[in-house]
Amino acid sequence: MNTVDFSKLSKEEKLQQFMERIENGEKIEADDWMPDEYRNVLIKLISMHGISEIMGALPEKEWVPKAPSLRKKLGIMAKVQDEMGHGQLLLRVVEDLLEPLGKNRDDIMEDLLNGDLKFHNVFHMEAPTWADAGIIAWLVDGAAIMTQTNMLQASYGPYSRALHRICAEEVFHAQHGESIIMALAEGSEQQREMLQEAIYRWWPSLLMFFGPESAETTGSSKQDITIKYKIRTKTNEQLRQDFFTKYVPRVLALGFKLPDDTMHFDEEKGKWVYQQPDWSEFKKIIAGKGPKSQSRLQLRRMAFENSRWVREALGAKREAI
Amino acid sequence: MYTKSKYVERMSCLQNEEFYHVFEVFSKRNHKSDFQHQFSLLAPNHEMALVMAQENFMRREPVVDIWVVKRSDITKLKPEDKKALERLDNKEYRLTKGYGYLKKKWRKYEQQVLDEKEIMSWGGDQRGPNRNAAGSDSK
Repeated sequence: MNTVDFSKLSKEEKLQQFMERIENGEKIEADDWMPDEYRNVLIKLISMHGISEIMGALPEKEWVPKAPSLRKKLGIMAKVQDEMGHGQLLLRVVEDLLEPLGKNRDDIMEDLLNGDLKFHNVFHMEAPTWADAGIIAWLVDGAAIMTQTNMLQASYGPYSRALHRICAEEVFHAQHGESIIMALAEGSEQQREMLQEAIYRWWPSLLMFFGPESAETTGSSKQDITIKYKIRTKTNEQLRQDFFTKYVPRVLALGFKLPDDTMHFDEEKGKWVYQQPDWSEFKKIIAGKGPKSQSRLQLRRMAFENSRWVREALGAKREAI
Repeated sequence: MYTKSKYVERMSCLQNEEFYHVFEVFSKRNHKSDFQHQFSLLAPNHEMALVMAQENFMRREPVVDIWVVKRSDITKLKPEDKKALERLDNKEYRLTKGYGYLKKKWRKYEQQVLDEKEIMSWGGDQRGPNRNAAGSDSK
């Protein structure tokens, strides 16, 4: 047993022990020593994930008052609340990582509003019809489930535990989405058209969701670092391929088309062949220049302002005690 | 329109360390189960922490009781102290591991060893009339 005083080890020795723990499948905890690269990549990844949960609830919440039945209204309401809950979990994980850097939730919000903290490309887009609400729950959540299950065994314990909670609820979201699109797919001609249009509208965003195949496409990619530290196992492209394998046959089976005539599975290569989305558009969107980027950020500011009285009331109570 | 810096400044005056505290949340799934650590949350006080705990972690799961504890009130092992928890590999004399031979011995006397499964079952309705009738422990 190694009982050497850990604080007396050199940085290289600490790093070696750290990597050994990861190789052995041990979980790293918030107060454990970790290299800056690991901490920073986790902060970036999990704050982006957490904020995306919150920003992702915004386009969906638009559909709560307009849901076509009480059952669907309750379903989408529960889902919106789940997404906010996921945001709460993930921000807590980030806050513990930020603590040694003297930062907290304020800084995360500041970064979001000044554009330093990106959120998922899909949540910058419009959701003009009920079919869009269906596509978000079915395919956008489907894509999110792909990326999240890929990190269930993440080497960072708190993130792994948060993801286990989150993925358990995603099963409900996936079936909620299936039920929306199934009703439209088996509905009137008008409903089928609405769903077809939503599929066309969301397709490029869905391709972009997994990120570029490599840093060469967009100039930066953290996937090599996250794989090195066993935060994730599959690459962006592997996840995108998995997504095609699960969802393309289902879209086609319902008699819908994809806006990509070249899309097919190449048996020889064992890969889906598809047209790349416009990655310069992707960069623009995540830089806060998507169709709904600014109005959703404004919604976030307003939500904070509108609940100010609640915080002030709670603060006053604390002082009185 | 709100400028960013103004927003953050106004936000910070309330949302600082003094306003929010980290609470650890524990809950019991049913009356038989132990308290289990769920996760942590930020709340301005214990009362809100209890409300938030239900909203954040118990939207679906059955739950019969909840504890919230301020994280600053918890004393934890330091990461390096956890090493001391790694047990030496010589605790077998405290376990049933060395008594495996008894099974064979008892077989010779046409009896069975009282193992964990057997003993832990004694608290049940072992002494019901039917069992007694069929059992071997008649008086």
